[in-house]
Amino acid sequence: MTTSSLIRIVDSPDEIAAAAARLRECMRSRELVAREVIEILERWGAALHGAELDAVPGVPFLRLWLRRGTLEPIVIQELGPSALTGEWRDERGARLRIFPQGVIGHWPAANIEIQPLLSLSCALLGGNASLVRVPDSLMQQTAAMLAKLAEVDGGSALAQRIFVAGFDHTRLDLQRAMAASVDGAMIWGGAEAITQIRALPFPPWARLSMFGPRLSVAAMDGDCWADEGERASWCRRIARDVWQFDQQACSSPQSLFLERRAGADVEAFVRELAAALETENRAHPRHRIHPALTSAICLARASWLLGGAARQAVFPATPDWTLLIGAGADMPVPVQGRTLNVLLVDELAEPIARFDGAVQTLGLAIKDAAKEASLAQAAGRNGVDRIVKLGRMHVFGSPWDGSDMIRPMVRLVRHQAEKQS
Amino acid sequence: MNALATDVGRQLEDLLSGPVFAREPAERQAQLLAVLKAEIEYAIERHPPFRRYVSAWPIDYRAAQRIADLPYLPVGVFKADPPLALVAPEKIVRTLASSATTGQSPSRVVLDAETSRRMAKGVTVIIRDFVGPARRPYLVIDTPESLAGGAQLGARAAAIQGLRNFATDIVCCLKSNEPDEPQIDEPKLLSFARQVGEGDALAYGFTYVVWRHLVQPLRARGVTLHMPNVRLLHSGGWKRLQEQAVARAAYAAGVAELFGCPAENVVDFYGMVENVGVIYPDCAHGNKHAPAFAEVIIRDPLTLQPVQVGEQGLVQVCSALATSFPGFAVLTDDIAEVIHYDGCPCGRRGIGFRFVKRVPKAELRGCGNIDNLRARAPVASA
Repeated sequence: MTTSSLIRIVDSPDEIAAAAARLRECMRSRELVAREVIEILERWGAALHGAELDAVPGVPFLRLWLRRGTLEPIVIQELGPSALTGEWRDERGARLRIFPQGVIGHWPAANIEIQPLLSLSCALLGGNASLVRVPDSLMQQTAAMLAKLAEVDGGSALAQRIFVAGFDHTRLDLQRAMAASVDGAMIWGGAEAITQIRALPFPPWARLSMFGPRLSVAAMDGDCWADEGERASWCRRIARDVWQFDQQACSSPQSLFLERRAGADVEAFVRELAAALETENRAHPRHRIHPALTSAICLARASWLLGGAARQAVFPATPDWTLLIGAGADMPVPVQGRTLNVLLVDELAEPIARFDGAVQTLGLAIKDAAKEASLAQAAGRNGVDRIVKLGRMHVFGSPWDGSDMIRPMVRLVRHQAEKQS
Repeated sequence: MNALATDVGRQLEDLLSGPVFAREPAERQAQLLAVLKAEIEYAIERHPPFRRYVSAWPIDYRAAQRIADLPYLPVGVFKADPPLALVAPEKIVRTLASSATTGQSPSRVVLDAETSRRMAKGVTVIIRDFVGPARRPYLVIDTPESLAGGAQLGARAAAIQGLRNFATDIVCCLKSNEPDEPQIDEPKLLSFARQVGEGDALAYGFTYVVWRHLVQPLRARGVTLHMPNVRLLHSGGWKRLQEQAVARAAYAAGVAELFGCPAENVVDFYGMVENVGVIYPDCAHGNKHAPAFAEVIIRDPLTLQPVQVGEQGLVQVCSALATSFPGFAVLTDDIAEVIHYDGCPCGRRGIGFRFVKRVPKAELRGCGNIDNLRARAPVASA
């Protein structure tokens, strides 16, 4: 199956309007409840293998996400158990039932290969149809993943509810047509993209879910990073979190705060972390880089070392990874690519107290559960939406960015039946 | 602190005084490598932050077998305030500043007397190789204010000053009404053209200034200058002309038409204040070359290793001339293509490269692009 057959290259607003009409008709002709959707999604996830797909960043996460064991609890948590089968539930003398919002438009970010599929899977779980604009940079990978759906979705129950469009992001006429054709939208990306898409002419009833730009931070207490027995394991997890998505995802750690521990060997930890990054580099070598990122990495290395007497840095001759080591609770301006600031602080509460809502995920390695709970409480108060163990910073789940993923795109219909006398 | 060792100084003078482009590449690189190593040693004694940077470099510079393995600084660090200096403030005789685009900080480099002398000599020997040693009338396509020297000098003024050694008399053919909108001083220009006639002359202007403030207005009126033996050098980059979709060939043809000279007399050169004393004019075959006291390395952005012939990468410039600031090896934000590593038909030895473009701005990144969020905290104090 070719890219063009799975992703339609669209050139006119009419094509988009017609596609939306077909999706809407498909929804009207046959209802699909969450359990049916989950069955197909699970088959899809299991089929996401092969040389081409194994090289797509995030595919292992996507496989996990598409499992029944992952999705069913999320549907139950967000929509209630009756949503799995599409049944009405009784509540205070009335009947309640989940119905789809309609055709959902998806504007995924250009930097996360699996995001088109993550986004549309959320809408499909609510019984919706999905109209997806795929950025040019993700076209090939998205087509490869969609091809697997075509293989496992025998009756095309799900495939019929998906229309994936390719068009240049500067085509305002097509962007407007897409916005005008949908009943809801899931919009992901940087500030500029979010602002532009939000301003499109959506119908007044359309519901918009925005997942805007954020950054993420890692933190370890002295009991963890100084533990020689566990050090290698923690460093592998950090390296994995740094490597995935080239450190350009909202869930990518940009800084790692280490709580000071008297007598503990920071250099040994840094050596271990450097080795873990090198191992990731060998296992998952990158095949391209934007020259501006190379320049930014070189500048960050030099500026860091020229800028303060107590600073250190470890990096190879290539731009593959960089550790900038220093001290202080302020977060340096992130390079957002292959560069991790490692900062010593007296207490992890210090940097967390300075978070300002820009931090999405806090990846933690804390031995003491009570201390971890206390830090999570402080992080939540300061705008952090996800607090997870190091190594799991990119594991997609609901809620994301502090919001449910499925519920915003469904309607809860109430049937107030008159009591029979 | 040790001064630059006598033998190193001698080698440096040898590079500066000998054949500019005729040395056998391997031999020249070996000599340059030795001088650069000595200069790094000299610099780390004087600048602890630079020592920290060199210490963190993955290859020990003392063991480096090739210039490409030596530590290099990215060009952005020269925007630091105060500028990076290896000499005491009282030794600084001049500060050169780049022509920063709007809203950007300029790069600044400090020169002591010795570096200033080498800079002047470096430019002179390179230009001499391209236009010959004779002095001749010099037309500055800029305003008379651009001739003013002083302790602070912009890139444009520095380039104009650098050619004075080839001038018998100097005429500036623009006059200033308002900043950035100079007008042609037509009586002066026409008088200069009449006097020169078919004789040799030199002209210099910033690339966009020549086009916008001289060629375009005079061409619109059908004026030609009849100076067939003028050599016009220009520099400063193509960005503003790319915005006007002016191609290089069309530029050279337009300038040549105005002056009534062959297009090959119009020579673009590449240079930057961080690489003082070194400029890279196009040879007759359209290639740029490194002189004996400098080197150019084009690095693959993916690996930062030197690219193969025919490949493009980030431009690194190296120079042994400056000892007043750590500008021995500078990674620029420019992209160039390696045409060959030796054997240019023009006869100049060593690398031949062509400037391609500035590094394009990174495409909009996605959900991790926090550039437009609330102002981030400053870099952590250490």
